[in-house]
Amino acid sequence: MNYGKKFLAIVVTGAIVVLAGCGSRKPGAEPNEMVIRLPASGKLTGFDPGMLRDFDSIEVCSHICETLYQYHFLKRPYEIIPLLAEEMPQISEDMQTYTIKIKRGVYFQNDKCFEGGKGRELKAQDFIYSIKRIADIKNLSQNWSLFDDKIVGLDEFREYTKGCKSREDVDYSRDVEGLQASDDYTLVVDLKRPWPQFVSTALADTSTAPMAKEAVEFYGKDIISHPVGTGPFKLKVWQRGSYVSVVRNPNFRIELYPSEGEPGDAEAGYLDDAGKRLPLVDGIVWTIIQESQPAWLLFLQGKFDAMALQKDNFDEVILGNGELTDKMKQLEIHLSPFQEPSTFWVGFNMQDPVLGKNKPLRRAISYALDRQKFIDLFYGGLGHVSHGFVAPQLDSYDPTIKEKGFAVYDPNKARELIKEAEKIHGGELPELKIAMGGTSTFYRQYGQFLGRQLKAVGLVVEVQYMDWPTYIEKVNTRSAQIFTAGVIASMPDAEDFLSMFYSKNWSPGSNRFNYLNPEYDKLYEKVAVMPDNPKRKGLYRKMELMVLEDCPAAFSCHRVIYRLQHDWYKNYKQHAFQHGMGKYRRIDLKKRAAYSELLKKVK
Amino acid sequence: MTTYIIRRLVYTIPIVFGVLLLTFVLFTLVGGDISIEIAGKNATPETIEEIREEYGLNKPLFLSWDSQFINHFESALTFSFGRSRDRELVIDKIKRGVGPSLALTVPMFFGVLVISVSLSLFVAFVRGSVWDVLAVVICVAGMSIPYLSFILFGQYFFAYKWGLFPVFFSPGLTTAQYVALPVLIGIAAGIGGNLRFYRTVMLDEMRSDYVRTAFAKGLSPRRVLFKHVLKNAMIPIITRVVLAIPFLFLGSLLLERFFGIPGLGYLMVEAIGSRDYFVINAMTYISAILFVIFNLITDICYSFADPRVSLG
Repeated sequence: MNYGKKFLAIVVTGAIVVLAGCGSRKPGAEPNEMVIRLPASGKLTGFDPGMLRDFDSIEVCSHICETLYQYHFLKRPYEIIPLLAEEMPQISEDMQTYTIKIKRGVYFQNDKCFEGGKGRELKAQDFIYSIKRIADIKNLSQNWSLFDDKIVGLDEFREYTKGCKSREDVDYSRDVEGLQASDDYTLVVDLKRPWPQFVSTALADTSTAPMAKEAVEFYGKDIISHPVGTGPFKLKVWQRGSYVSVVRNPNFRIELYPSEGEPGDAEAGYLDDAGKRLPLVDGIVWTIIQESQPAWLLFLQGKFDAMALQKDNFDEVILGNGELTDKMKQLEIHLSPFQEPSTFWVGFNMQDPVLGKNKPLRRAISYALDRQKFIDLFYGGLGHVSHGFVAPQLDSYDPTIKEKGFAVYDPNKARELIKEAEKIHGGELPELKIAMGGTSTFYRQYGQFLGRQLKAVGLVVEVQYMDWPTYIEKVNTRSAQIFTAGVIASMPDAEDFLSMFYSKNWSPGSNRFNYLNPEYDKLYEKVAVMPDNPKRKGLYRKMELMVLEDCPAAFSCHRVIYRLQHDWYKNYKQHAFQHGMGKYRRIDLKKRAAYSELLKKVK
Repeated sequence: MTTYIIRRLVYTIPIVFGVLLLTFVLFTLVGGDISIEIAGKNATPETIEEIREEYGLNKPLFLSWDSQFINHFESALTFSFGRSRDRELVIDKIKRGVGPSLALTVPMFFGVLVISVSLSLFVAFVRGSVWDVLAVVICVAGMSIPYLSFILFGQYFFAYKWGLFPVFFSPGLTTAQYVALPVLIGIAAGIGGNLRFYRTVMLDEMRSDYVRTAFAKGLSPRRVLFKHVLKNAMIPIITRVVLAIPFLFLGSLLLERFFGIPGLGYLMVEAIGSRDYFVINAMTYISAILFVIFNLITDICYSFADPRVSLG
């Protein structure tokens, strides 16, 4: 063969490869099945419920493994209802003993870890096993703080596991006084002291979802990719870094779509499927996608059913008056704003020698921040200034908090306070360092914004950009001076937010500010064991004001999430505690099938 | 030749040792203790200590047979690499990523090579003409446009707007389907720099006396270009080509991320983002080994391409 022919052969081969890739909608295109298709933005770390702490992994896992309790899908305010439990727990008078009846006839998913491959019935002992796994130090669970010093005998069990040489040496039959199964269907939990949020914090949290002991023993360290739960779906494929798919669990018990919700739900179509057997779809596929352009294009192509609106796509979706653009209307895309129960802030390390003892300096920084401008620039005006740290959606939110004036933008006041701060410091203030937990465009723009605002009132600032792990390490080791962060409530109670200022939770705990106020601590210890009542609400508000007065952070905003969904994606009611909601969703297959024609016209 | 190869392989030992020492120092000493990070939020000191125990971070750094460095050395030599932070075996991650990465980089590599070398021969032959000027302009433009622009533009128009290719990886697609567009984009983005390089090499050869002699003897342009010029230009081509091969195994960071190709480039970006030193360390080590091997292959190829090169 001469050179010309060789060259031609290579070109032809290359052309065949390229042509084979053309026409994505022909071979290999996804069939129009009753399968939900969603993007996942984070790195999945596995699906062993007790070990998880990242949002995306929990989201997937919550469809496979279930908890004793869950939040009602439709009712607002959020209401806790039984899931694997037969009913709400019976609580003793001293509020320290919880007796929980377990549903009968709930079976684990079929898996080869069971004898004959058939899933066995769920028992009360499975919950004890799950909590013990969190306590077992050999498992390195990130969820131990949930149970630390809470259940009678559990800390002793953890101590015992420290002495074991390996995971295999831990004896799970060892008795824990506060975790007992009085029979196969009754779980009794003894707490060391009252814990009013026990059900919402722990028993409705995916980390306590039972996983079959047989699976843990059968798969060993690979259990993270072989979850065996009782949920409506079971894991089909987890191609790490690419996608994860779950399919309907044929063993799933009879559970029905709720028949009642809040006013307006029927009109919105959220009760159209009332009484139908769950899950309504055959499966869910999450595609791991971290870049915004391909995610957006896939959504426009109809290959994702829903997604959160990204900052880069605001102009394409929303007009200045907040209405959808004509293109979005033609494509029958819906936009749902959702006020998530979140608070974001610029935090101060109260143990820092410059900031910690200089309240005027911290207040000056707070006055220097134009929060509304921040919201306009970074969230397209979609957000609310946070005047305190309790999110407005929570019951204990103080509606008069704005009048207290803790989030006012007043550069002149800031300059005055800086003079006072210099006196306290004993001279010119040193350069302040702001740690940013990312290096992406968003963080750089955010850092520049903060730097400019503080420089405008005469402060010298260095903004340090770092990757997330470095940032976390810096904050955890109390070496960050100023840092930006935020939190989303994990339950409808503000205790989540209040615990961030309790001194026993100093970094690496949730009190990243390393804030210490003995009076606050006393109140926190008091409210932590109080049942929900108006008195407790009053104390919550008092504690919030104490923190705002001391200013361990300049609280900036409560975020509003804009979610986009195609017209065919049904029962997509926004939920603040939304794990495991895939079983309620439905796809209108006819509408989805017709979308490609609609898209051609609009393109 | 055999003596030379053996000698070079022996030289490899201190190089590999150096790489291992360097990666160990970088990741262990400079990178700091990763146990706090693995422990996550609200971790107790006991959990952190347990993690140090599990990952062997509480062992002495050097001065012991059970030191961290000896363990690092042993795991590298046996290609075991242990488990990554998400508890999957590192070697399994690498094995899984090699296929998709090579499916992307190999066609891209050959595409760029064939097109660049062919075009360079052509423009060298018609040097000074409109075609040559046009090629230079394309080269400069190709080198000036950021790689990301090629990706964003290609993905938007070819995949979304005209629907010729899939926008992103999805479970139902064949490998050819999901790599086709990234391969084309990679070729388009890579041609500029390569064509410019090969054009310079070919022009150097075209100005040689033997080319003029060949034309004077009445040989056809095709024979002169393919038989003589190309053969004599092989040394710089081999250097560029063979040394690029190790990088094929590392995949393409941007293309894999934007098109969802689960390759080694994507794996590396993820590992860097989450400071998964176990993966970064393994990838660095494998890259170094491949680079050393392909360096040796380059030298051997020289002797085949040009008999004047002696490997004695």
